[in-house]
Amino acid sequence: MKQNFLLQLHPLTKFYFSLFILVAVLIVPGYIFSFAVFPILVLIAILAGVTKEFLSIVLKALLSVLVIVFIMQMFFYPGDEVLWKAGIFSITQEGLDYGLLLTSRILAIGAVFILFFRMTEVRDFVKSLEDKGLPPMGAYVVLSTLQIIPEMRRQANTIMEAQKTRGVETEGSLFVRAKAFIPTLTPLILSSIASTEERAITLESRAFSAPVKKTSLHQLTKNSADRILPIVYVVILVGLLVWRFFL
Amino acid sequence: MKRNFKDDFNMMAMLLIPIAVAVNLVGFQLANVLRLPIFLDTIGTILVGVIAGPWVALLAGLITNLINAIFNPVYLPYALTSMAIGVGAGLLSKYGFFKKIPKTIVSGIIITFIAVIVSAPITVLVFGGATGNTSSLITATFLASGQQLWSAVFSSTFITEIADKVVSVLIVYFIVQKMSDRYLSKMNYGYLYMKRNNKK
Repeated sequence: MKQNFLLQLHPLTKFYFSLFILVAVLIVPGYIFSFAVFPILVLIAILAGVTKEFLSIVLKALLSVLVIVFIMQMFFYPGDEVLWKAGIFSITQEGLDYGLLLTSRILAIGAVFILFFRMTEVRDFVKSLEDKGLPPMGAYVVLSTLQIIPEMRRQANTIMEAQKTRGVETEGSLFVRAKAFIPTLTPLILSSIASTEERAITLESRAFSAPVKKTSLHQLTKNSADRILPIVYVVILVGLLVWRFFL
Repeated sequence: MKRNFKDDFNMMAMLLIPIAVAVNLVGFQLANVLRLPIFLDTIGTILVGVIAGPWVALLAGLITNLINAIFNPVYLPYALTSMAIGVGAGLLSKYGFFKKIPKTIVSGIIITFIAVIVSAPITVLVFGGATGNTSSLITATFLASGQQLWSAVFSSTFITEIADKVVSVLIVYFIVQKMSDRYLSKMNYGYLYMKRNNKK
């Protein structure tokens, strides 16, 4: 099966793209550019074949934040040019502009990072950082964290069921529910830290902390696009900076 | 006892980080399931600070927020808050603040101040004052009653954080009390909480 070109890019190329958008959005004044970034990101998501997950996470994560940020600025940002007034609430032109600016930036920056993680396996990203000089221990910590989280969620549910069987109440008044928290969390933490010793022994038995160069089964390749694109980003950013501050 | 910066990052401490991050996330999820009005999403970070020191906790806080940011980028700027909480908890532990309940509560209040001082400017500068959680409603109420933006955000953050952090440090205190000497002896700051030979 032929892999998608965009998905095949080196993780760092995609990461630099996110940073590029972040800086570009902060350089260019006004909200029109930042709002224009979003359709471009959607287009990239369609080309990469991740549209559905991308849009659903944008909706879930960003929509409520954007609405609330916008409403807050519209009503409470100080300004003189009043557009609409009812009682203590008033909408000013300045508030409207600032609300649009802020929401456009949050949308563009938030969406580009969501897109990055939909297009990149965390494993590949961490490997690329390791190639750049992240210590192998750091890479191991990040990856094993991702593995441990679902495992501990399951374990937390098991412990809670077990405690319910013993008679710990999880329904009722606030105080009763709060009391169920500690009997669930304590066994979870104590059993998890007991397992770190086994992990340490396993890692050490493979000479993990030996001061030698590590070999990896997982390799990343760079193609010509991965060499050209970062240069393109830098050129565009320098162009934007010159345009913003010197013209 | 003089301690080298690098000594903090031994293997047992590093292996504690994934656990801490998972405890942060699971704590938050449990608080949701039990419909508690507080987040309890920094228990892991504080725990690492207490037994493994400030720098390991800084890393745990950072990784927690990076992993949360994979699904919700709003968490990304607040990585600074998590890191500051971790460092704060670690330093407090170094000076023996987690040995007895009264001092633990004091350290909870100190950590609240750290959290507020770091997170309120992020809320104002990055999100203009509200991010859509419970404290946004309080902020809006303060603003509508005529307060300035900065003081409104500071006070609403303080109100939502104080209960959360004090309960979190108490939970950490009880969990550390239950840890075995055998495990604590392997952690950098564990000797402070061992039940035997508590002299060093």
